[in-house]
Formats: sequence, structure tokens, C-alpha cells
Amino acid sequence: MEHAISGWSLFWLFVPMPLLVILSIITMFTERSKSN
Amino acid sequence: MSVTTLVTFIVYIIGMLLIGVYMYRRTTDLSDYVLGGRSLGPAVAALSAGASDMSGWLLLALPGAIYASGISESWLGIGLATGAFLNWQFIARRLRVYTEVSNNAITIPDFLENRFNDKSRALRVISAIVILVFFTFYTSSGMVAGAKLFESSFGLSYQWALWIGVLVVVSYTFLGGFLAVVWTDFIQGTLMLLALIAAPIAAISAFGGWGETVQAVGELNINHLSMVKGVGAIAIISSLAWGLGYFGQPHIIVRFMAMRSAKDVPVARFIGTTWMILGLYGAIFTGFVGFAYVASADASIFSAQGIEVIMEDGIQVLADEETIFIVFAQVLFHPLVAGLILAAIMSAIMSTVDSQLLVSSSAVAEDFYKGFFRKKASDKELVWVGRIATVAIALIAGIIATNPDSKVLDLVSYAWAGFGASFGPIIVLSLFWRGITRNGALWGIIVGATTVIIWGDFLSGGIFDLYEMVPGFFLNLIVTIVISKMGKPDEVMTDHFDKTMEELHK
Repeated sequence: MEHAISGWSLFWLFVPMPLLVILSIITMFTERSKSN
Repeated sequence: MSVTTLVTFIVYIIGMLLIGVYMYRRTTDLSDYVLGGRSLGPAVAALSAGASDMSGWLLLALPGAIYASGISESWLGIGLATGAFLNWQFIARRLRVYTEVSNNAITIPDFLENRFNDKSRALRVISAIVILVFFTFYTSSGMVAGAKLFESSFGLSYQWALWIGVLVVVSYTFLGGFLAVVWTDFIQGTLMLLALIAAPIAAISAFGGWGETVQAVGELNINHLSMVKGVGAIAIISSLAWGLGYFGQPHIIVRFMAMRSAKDVPVARFIGTTWMILGLYGAIFTGFVGFAYVASADASIFSAQGIEVIMEDGIQVLADEETIFIVFAQVLFHPLVAGLILAAIMSAIMSTVDSQLLVSSSAVAEDFYKGFFRKKASDKELVWVGRIATVAIALIAGIIATNPDSKVLDLVSYAWAGFGASFGPIIVLSLFWRGITRNGALWGIIVGATTVIIWGDFLSGGIFDLYEMVPGFFLNLIVTIVISKMGKPDEVMTDHFDKTMEELHK
């Protein structure tokens, strides 16, 4: 039998955490431009 | 263990001790010893917060949990990563500014006393008691992790391993205080991350690739491949709730207070978040591939290294799943690299334990000794009291860790909930709500801590399987708000609050 990680599990494993890195990049630039 | 591994390991540890000696010469007063004189740049602050936070937990407990139960334990990672990000986003800058406005507070009890203009010292004493109780358990988790490392790497008995670890950690915390801790944390944070990325990559490629790994794990236990299968709502909520704990961890938020400038927070947040998430993925994949690797490898590989494996439901598994990362270091890498990875694990443990010892010792020196016994104690005297307290607390934590069946995850989980539920809501409300009062904060801390102790130690089954953080955090929040609504903050408190808001909007 072929085994694989389901799409739903892949979503939870690989979306929320990288999203936080992206958010930290966005807020870094927005806050920097605000303080300038 | 090979001679090369041993030499690399020892050279590394001596290097850390030398940093301690160097920083010892630069430590002149308690602010230096506890807070490094507010001098941290963004990278050092971020990695130091990460290394002191993640610790042996990231290298032993999380891979161990994934090894035992599969990727469903990744909910823990999601909860923690979210909590850490929110902590950087909403707490770091405000707390940095507020602690300076509040008469230059350098510890959490200090901040709470100044924030609530508490002349009775009740807040200081209650928060110092919470710190001493829960940090003793937290420190103990680090001692257990250190003992497991020395036990599985050097073939020492658990008890010998434990006390050697205690000696190493205390030596350099004792010497250098905060500056030594943050600088070694920085080096250790970098090394930890490299090791966490390298280990699963090496294991997955040794296994033949990602597809082969998933297939092998699925054949052994299909539930290991699912985030939701066989996992109840209570378990998912409990794992995610770990994230709530961040707002109240004294050893982490003290890093925010020690930053050079509040303007450095956005860069530190980016570095900290990225470091943490890469580390979490490393730990998750280490446990995931570890399960298949150990099951399929020849038992002689492990026995040659003195690693104990047992048969469970017809599958070969590690006797202690929390040692999977240590096992990988020994069986997958060149002895030199293995020595570095083992040193990285020791580093992680040291960086957390020393941060915790430091916060605990400052509670003794600042809050009890100076607060009650010697109001006019000199800075030099306080540094020495802090150092003696460091040794005493380490000894008590060591004694708690003497049970060889101790699990890092259980000890961390209890202490994490204790701090999160006692201080978390108070820190958040005190930074965002002008109307919070001293009585509200005091009763909130008491209710949060008591709930964690009762729920964690005396209740189990059904809803009581929910992580004690959840009831503790929310009961604290409710009690603080209700009691604060019954009173009014005094003028000094509101002035400080308004001044902080002004500073933040400059």
C-alpha cells in the first residue's frame, strides 16, 4: 500500500508556521517605514 | 564515543566557560548581572530569547513527542510559533518602553511593583514566590535533559551524568551573569539551529529520500502521518494553548527589557521568528524520520554506541524516545560533527537553565534580600547573594531531577503553564489597559498559579485532561478584570501608563 501525508495535514504542517515568517518580514518593513 | 567527539565536546564547553570568565570581569552591578545594562542588539536579543526559550525542549522533548506519536504533535509547534510571534509583535516594544518609564525596572517583580505603585510589597513577594516555585521545576527539566545527554553519550550512570551537568551549568551562570548568558546563548542559538537542520536532512537522505521515509513511517503506524487522525479536540486545544504561555515567561520577556532600543524590535522579531520556525521544523522532522530509522536499523548500530533499544508491538524503538536527536548525532555523523552536535544540545540545555537560574537568583537577591533584609545592600553584595542563590536553586532542581524516569516534556509543560497562567494575563493587561489595579493583578496571579497547581496535580480525566494553561490563563484574566473594575488605579499608575503611550507614539 502506498502511504502519503494527506493534503489537510500538509496544509497545517506547512502553512501556518511559514506564514508567521512572512508576517514578520512584512511588519519589519511596514514598521520601519512608519518610524522613518 | 570516539576520542574526536569527546575532544570537540570538551573544547566547546571550555570555550563557553572562558566567555563566562571574561564577562565576569565586566560585571560590576546587579543591573549588569541581571540585564546586561540594556545593551542587546536585535540579533543577540532574538537568538538569546530563542535559545533560552527552546532549550533541551526543542532538541529532546519535541522530537521525542513526534517520535512517539507522529506529526499530530506538530500542533505544539504551531501553538508555540504563534505565541512567540505575538509576544514579539505586541509585548516586546511596549514592555521595553514601560519598564524604563516604571523607574527602570530590571526584573518582572520589579516591573509589577513599579507598574502598580505597590508600596505593600505584596506583588513583589507573590511574583517572586511564583518564580522560585515554577523555575525550580523548569530548571529541573534542564537538569534531566543534561543528564540524558551525558548518560547516552558518555555511558555515565544517570546520577553521575546529572550532577556533572549541574556543575557545568552553575559554573558559568555563577561567573558571568546575564552578559555571559546572552553571548553564549547567541553562539548556542546558531549552533542549535545548524544541528537541527543537519540531523533530519542526514537521516532522511540515509533513508533514501522523503518519499521513502513517509512510506516507511506509514507502514509502521499510519496514524503518524496525520495531524488529526486519532487526535481529539482537547489534545489539539491543549497543544495550541502552549502559545498562551509566552506572555508570562520571565526568562524570555526579560530579553525584551534588556534590548538596546525599542526600535530594534521589528528586526529582532524577524530573526527570532525565522530562527524558531526553522528549529521547530528540524525538531519535527527529526522525530518523524527517527521513528522509521530506529525501527529499520540493525540493533548492533545502537548497541555499539551504548544506546538502549526495546521491542514494542513488534517494532524496534528507543527505550527513551527523548534521546532520538542524541542518537542521530552519534550514528549519522563524523565524530567531529557528532561532538559539535552533542555540544549544541548541551548548549541548549545550558542556555535555558542558566537564564532560569539567573531570574530565580535575582528574585532572591532583589525581591527577598534587598526587599526585606537589607534595604541598603550594595550592588556588589547583591551580585554575591544572587550567585549563592544560583547554587542553592540549582541544587534543589538537581534533587528533583534525580528520578531517572523523569520526562523533559512533563516538567517543562508544568512550569510553562505556571508562568503563562500566573503572569501572562497580567503582563498583557498591564501594557494595554489603563484601568487595571494592583488588587486585580495580585488576585489574578494567585488564581492563575493556584489553578495550575490544582488542575495539573490533582485533577485528571475528561475535561481535566485539558492543559492546565487554559483554565489558569482565562481564570486569571477574568479575576483580574472583575477585581480591577471594582477599584481604580492611582494617579502614579495612570501617569506612567500615559507617559508610556506617549513614548510609544513618538
